[in-house]
Amino acid sequence: MPEPIVEVHDLRKIFPTTTGEEKRAVDGVSFEVAPGRIYGLLGPNGAGKTTTLRMIAGLLTPTGGRVRLNGHDPQVDRESAKRSLGYLTASTGLYERLSPREVLNYFGELIGLEAAHRKKRIEDLIHWLDMSAFADLRCGGLSTGQKQRTNIARALMGDPPILIMDEPTLGLDVLTNRVVLDFIRAEGARGKAIILSTHYLDDAEAICNEFGLIHDGRIVGRGDLAALRAQSGRTRLSEIFLALCGEDQHVLSGVPGATDHSSTREVE
Amino acid sequence: MKGYSRIWTVYRKELVETLRDRRTLMAMVFVPVILYPILMVVLMQALSSEKGRQEESEYTVVVPNEAHKRWLDSVLAREDAAAIAEQKAMEAAAQSLGEAAAGATGRAAFRTQLGSKQIHVVVAENPGAIWDVIAAGMAHAAVIVRPDPGADGVDHPNRVVQILYSDTNPLSEVIYRQLNIILANEAERIVRDRVTKLAGTSDVLSPIVTTNLSTTSPDKQFSKALALIVPFLLVTMTVTGAMYPAIDLTAGERERGTLETLAVSPVPVGQIVAGKFGVIVTIAMVTTALNLGSMTAVIQFSGISQLLSGSTSATAAIEEMEAEQTVRTEPVQPGTPAALQLENIGRRQALESAMNRRTGFVATAAPIVLLAMIPFAVLFGGVMLAVCSFAKSFKEAQNYMMPVMMSAIVPAMVVSYMPTIELQGPLMATPVANVVLLMRELFLGNFRIEAVVIVLLSTCLYAAAAVALATRIYGNEAVLFNDVGSYKTLLLRRFIHPQSLPSAAFALLTLALIFPVYFFVQSSMVGAGSDWMDVCQALSTTQIGLFFGAVVFLAWYAKLDLRETFSLRTPTAIHVVATLLVIVGVVPFSATMQQFLYATFRPTQQMEEMSRQMGALMGETPFWAIILVFSFLPAVCEEFAFRGLLLAGLKRSFGAWRTIIVVGLIFGAFHIYVHKIPPIAIMGMVLAYVCLRTGSIWPGVLIHFVNNSLGAVAENWAGSGDHRLMDLLGLPTGELETLDYSVSGRTMILIAVFVVGLVLMGMTRGAGHPRDPEETRAA
Repeated sequence: MPEPIVEVHDLRKIFPTTTGEEKRAVDGVSFEVAPGRIYGLLGPNGAGKTTTLRMIAGLLTPTGGRVRLNGHDPQVDRESAKRSLGYLTASTGLYERLSPREVLNYFGELIGLEAAHRKKRIEDLIHWLDMSAFADLRCGGLSTGQKQRTNIARALMGDPPILIMDEPTLGLDVLTNRVVLDFIRAEGARGKAIILSTHYLDDAEAICNEFGLIHDGRIVGRGDLAALRAQSGRTRLSEIFLALCGEDQHVLSGVPGATDHSSTREVE
Repeated sequence: MKGYSRIWTVYRKELVETLRDRRTLMAMVFVPVILYPILMVVLMQALSSEKGRQEESEYTVVVPNEAHKRWLDSVLAREDAAAIAEQKAMEAAAQSLGEAAAGATGRAAFRTQLGSKQIHVVVAENPGAIWDVIAAGMAHAAVIVRPDPGADGVDHPNRVVQILYSDTNPLSEVIYRQLNIILANEAERIVRDRVTKLAGTSDVLSPIVTTNLSTTSPDKQFSKALALIVPFLLVTMTVTGAMYPAIDLTAGERERGTLETLAVSPVPVGQIVAGKFGVIVTIAMVTTALNLGSMTAVIQFSGISQLLSGSTSATAAIEEMEAEQTVRTEPVQPGTPAALQLENIGRRQALESAMNRRTGFVATAAPIVLLAMIPFAVLFGGVMLAVCSFAKSFKEAQNYMMPVMMSAIVPAMVVSYMPTIELQGPLMATPVANVVLLMRELFLGNFRIEAVVIVLLSTCLYAAAAVALATRIYGNEAVLFNDVGSYKTLLLRRFIHPQSLPSAAFALLTLALIFPVYFFVQSSMVGAGSDWMDVCQALSTTQIGLFFGAVVFLAWYAKLDLRETFSLRTPTAIHVVATLLVIVGVVPFSATMQQFLYATFRPTQQMEEMSRQMGALMGETPFWAIILVFSFLPAVCEEFAFRGLLLAGLKRSFGAWRTIIVVGLIFGAFHIYVHKIPPIAIMGMVLAYVCLRTGSIWPGVLIHFVNNSLGAVAENWAGSGDHRLMDLLGLPTGELETLDYSVSGRTMILIAVFVVGLVLMGMTRGAGHPRDPEETRAA
């Protein structure tokens, strides 16, 4: 097992609110990801996934805890940390009045790639992600799938060793969904450390090597599929998810005739 | 360099994207290049066709009886004859006088003139219903003469003429005005006839005839008219041009979700903001340039200049020729000295006018005006960037833009409507108003270096603060993500995270807020006739209230570490020694430096006069006030503001030397008199250096105190005949500013001690500052 390249230790985020109350969005999250591994950060809406990922990417300042990306603290060595990182979310937009090729070139320049290297990288990405049909159209006119492929290419421009993907397949059709997942798997196989957050548990089950189940800002289950099965006594990831989040009781109690077999609820 | 290349990358990309935006193109190109000229042409045509319509229209004037009609017709006939005679005289004059007389005819060109052919006098069918006829709009006016011209012949000595008209009918108004003029002319003719009958001549009626000749050429008059309108138009156009890119590059980016990708790219926020800021300023300036160009073209070619100045345009060559053989404008006997003088004046006017017309005054003023617009564009680019950075959507940003637009347009409008406002006192530091006034002065050809410097420096300070604020807001997480808290958390103290040092944005913004207040308080309390008490009051107020009070309060509010921010440390022993050495030589140093600067850049007479007044003021100021108010207060308060907050904010993001230079320049800018800026800026740099090297504010406070007090005391004593302190310090006696540059041996030694002190500081490490190799090298 290689050394982890992503280290997250006891990460906390408390948001102030104008009413004076505190909102503990993330409360002591820790995990590590080694090169070549795909880490699935799963949890219900509002569990703190996105906040966690944003803190890892250095977009939010943690209230407490520690993040290391390739050895760099994103709050201190901002540039080095961000250089190691490709970041992609469902809400990420594109510059509508630029073409995918121009977008890629822009981010290539911001990363600081040499002109020749940049050009080759753009061609490669357009080829791999099958973007040549729309590479020179304005992004504003692209379909959701085409946009997301462009976004993936954008995140991969600098060939970073770490990828953070927050709901990368949200709203995609089956075909593009498949392209994206294959690409994530391939990048994992090429040695990248990938953190994936998604609602599609089947997808996660298919491609992730490791999981962290997050609920109310805390990790409630961790390890590979086997470990989670052992911890929860369930086989399918969706069942494990419900069991570990302590939500299956709610779900089942309302259904007549359902047997209660959720007594194995565990909390870290 | 890498930073600049990335700013350049951001700049290029944003520019391309902005230029592909239809809204920007609309505001930037369509409005000035197409809409303007069309509007102008339409306006011109409407004006002239309106005049044409008025002159071509037929007017019906109702009178009660035939006698009235005869009387009025005869008045109209006489008026016609007089008008024709006058016209002939003018044409004759025009042939012999050329240009100037042509101007005179041109001036009347837009006044409607009616002849008797257009005025039909009609006898009312029912004299009792005249009122109703006019009120119903069946005739344009009615004339009733008392006593009735039919009853007592034509030559009654005193007549009363009543004109009935309708205010709501435009043609009725035209004929009413015209009848008034005609009747006044008729009255004058009658008076002249009567006087001629009695005295044989009507000359007694003109004991004095005035003829007026403005030394300002018609083109200058035109530029005066423009100076009132154009700055306002340009300000409006510039903010309109900057608005869309400002919204699009900030709130638009956030709304479309591209901000997040930019935030995770390995580029510091400052560089992204700098690139965006550059695009906004570029677009604003291009908009301004296109507007100005379009205005110039419209003015030059549409003939609107005639409308404004009343001069006619002939070709330049003919004018020049005519100007050479010109020109007598006045009916004064030639040959007399007065007439000769008038002739010369007339020739000069014609020449100047021809020269101006040939180069096109507007065309020559345009580049200068464009230059003056740059600080304005920079300021509003910064302000808009900062304001839009708060907004989370395009719509929200548009709402925020309203007050920003108003804050640009309203001052410009107020200034435009008040031609007597001058660029002086606090106005020089008032954002927007100062730029508009400066533009107006430039348009009129007034160039005052101190006004230009103050306006530019203050505008740059405000713009820097705005950009720094934009950087701070732009990178803030509450603004980056819609779902993370409110940006109220940026401003309320309980949400502010304690920090050891202020950010550059915070420091610059604090000083930008203080600057106009300081300027205002200072100039409102210290007027022309103020004595030392007034000056003491003003100084105490600004020093304690602003430089100390406001600065320390804001630092506390922002939860800064006051000890770190204001460098409240005890200096090391070696730094105390170094400080003492600096103190020994500081007064000779600053005196020599000032002399050198004044010898190199001679102050104007006005500046010398101010210095003399200041010197006189110091002479009558009591000793305690010199020590306490003029020396101690500034030493403590100014050090806290400039070497405390400002230096702490800048040193974090600037290098040591850039910090020293910027602190010095801003310190200089705070001193109202322009000729004092360079020496005070240099002292500011020395003090910044001292604070950076010693890591303590106290040596600077001490040096500042000695510099202020010792020099003033020496001058004060010298003023009462005691030159011992002056001699001891190696200072030249007499008026500092008026002396030539000369340095005595004693002065040289003292300055050497001063330099040794500074070098000693540079060689030893102060508390709280890691050693910087660059600093040491330069020291």
